[in-house]
Amino acid sequence: MAYTTFSMRHNDQLKEPMFFGQPVNVARYDQQKHVIFEKLIEKQLSFFWRPEEVDVSRDRIDYQRLPAHEQHIFISNLKYQTLLDSIQGRSPNVALLPLVSIPELETWIETWAFSETLHSRSYTHIIRNIVNDPALIFDDIVTNKNIVARARDISRYYDELIEMSNYYHLLGEGQHYINGRYKEISLRQLKQALYLCLMSVNVLEAIRFYVSFACSFAFAERGLMEGNAKIIRLIARDEALHMSGTQHMLNLMRSGADDPEMAEIAQQCHEQSRALFLLAAQQEKQWADYLFKDGSMIGLNRQILHHYVEYITNIRMQAIGMEPAFEKRSHPIPWVNAWLASDNVQVAPQEVEVSSYLVGQIDATITADDLGSFEL
Amino acid sequence: MADLIVSTGSTQLAWQGRLATLLELLEDNCLPVEYQCRSGFCGACRVRLLAGRVRYRQPPLACLSKGEILPCCCVPESDITLALEHPP
Repeated sequence: MAYTTFSMRHNDQLKEPMFFGQPVNVARYDQQKHVIFEKLIEKQLSFFWRPEEVDVSRDRIDYQRLPAHEQHIFISNLKYQTLLDSIQGRSPNVALLPLVSIPELETWIETWAFSETLHSRSYTHIIRNIVNDPALIFDDIVTNKNIVARARDISRYYDELIEMSNYYHLLGEGQHYINGRYKEISLRQLKQALYLCLMSVNVLEAIRFYVSFACSFAFAERGLMEGNAKIIRLIARDEALHMSGTQHMLNLMRSGADDPEMAEIAQQCHEQSRALFLLAAQQEKQWADYLFKDGSMIGLNRQILHHYVEYITNIRMQAIGMEPAFEKRSHPIPWVNAWLASDNVQVAPQEVEVSSYLVGQIDATITADDLGSFEL
Repeated sequence: MADLIVSTGSTQLAWQGRLATLLELLEDNCLPVEYQCRSGFCGACRVRLLAGRVRYRQPPLACLSKGEILPCCCVPESDITLALEHPP
């Protein structure tokens, strides 16, 4: 079925599935099939923040005093997070919007991706403040082999879905001769690509971010890089909400409540989905090894982070009805939770260092010298 | 009126009206319960409710399967029994 930005065909949106029904025409929210997505939109809007609100000027001094191996940990994490949000700021829009068929989910996807662009902008805000030449950091993201290895695994599922849905929209189902090769395009296959893509997004939001979060908060626990931690905390709050949105999509698919065929596909993809979690956990452990290759920091080392990855992977697997993959243990770094708790996020301007407050500030101390150039 | 009882495996706790959430009661008694957002949207604290009823001030946003509750934003409405992951 070809995509159209505004279908003239009257339809009952309450009868459309989340994806692969008739493209959304009227963006209306007076009637909703899955109310949860509008609730998520409202929550996300209530979280709105801008990176410029957080003053990171002290971080520059802290950063310069960090030993080299800790600078490596700090910068590497920023690079990785920049990669993750570069992908997330565009991919949900590019991949999912052409397939979605209910308005509340369409708007959730746009709201979700928009908030990721705030994250991307905040990395520039942080990096610009702590180093003289941000290009050195940004340019390394596409060449650093420790980052690139994972970038491929993250973007792969999006890219496959996008390619396949382009063919589907252009040519429809069937066997097609494309670029010198025969390709079989079927809706079933496309649905499977969507399910796996959402699973990989879930893994990204639910596991991949958390090693970096833990490191950022470990610095802040020592009173270092606190501006950065304030921003990461806002990002972590957004990510927890996005994760919830993706889990809702997956669980609606799994239950068959939305599209019965999706429940079959979910069952079929069970092993592959598990493998996605395990691969991500393994890659995040490798990332921890890379971070700590030159030395640990107070409160964190690679072993603790390995345990944290396993711990968090278990929780995330259970959230979408999977058996946990790792040995059950108690939280290896419980203090991280205090930073992740959203009711601790201070939002009142008088409580946080809001730099936009400072813009209009004037220096009111006047001495006789200041009047020296005046002539009467 | 007698206090509501919160049972978790071997432990029995009396619900205290001064607490804002069930999570606080579990934490005050050092029971193993996970948390993250404490506002009902991340779902990290989900536990299974084996018996009884709970009440939410605001309906939570996180995914809940049948029989699961989010202690971070609910209070008991009757005597309740919870299945905690690691019994103390």
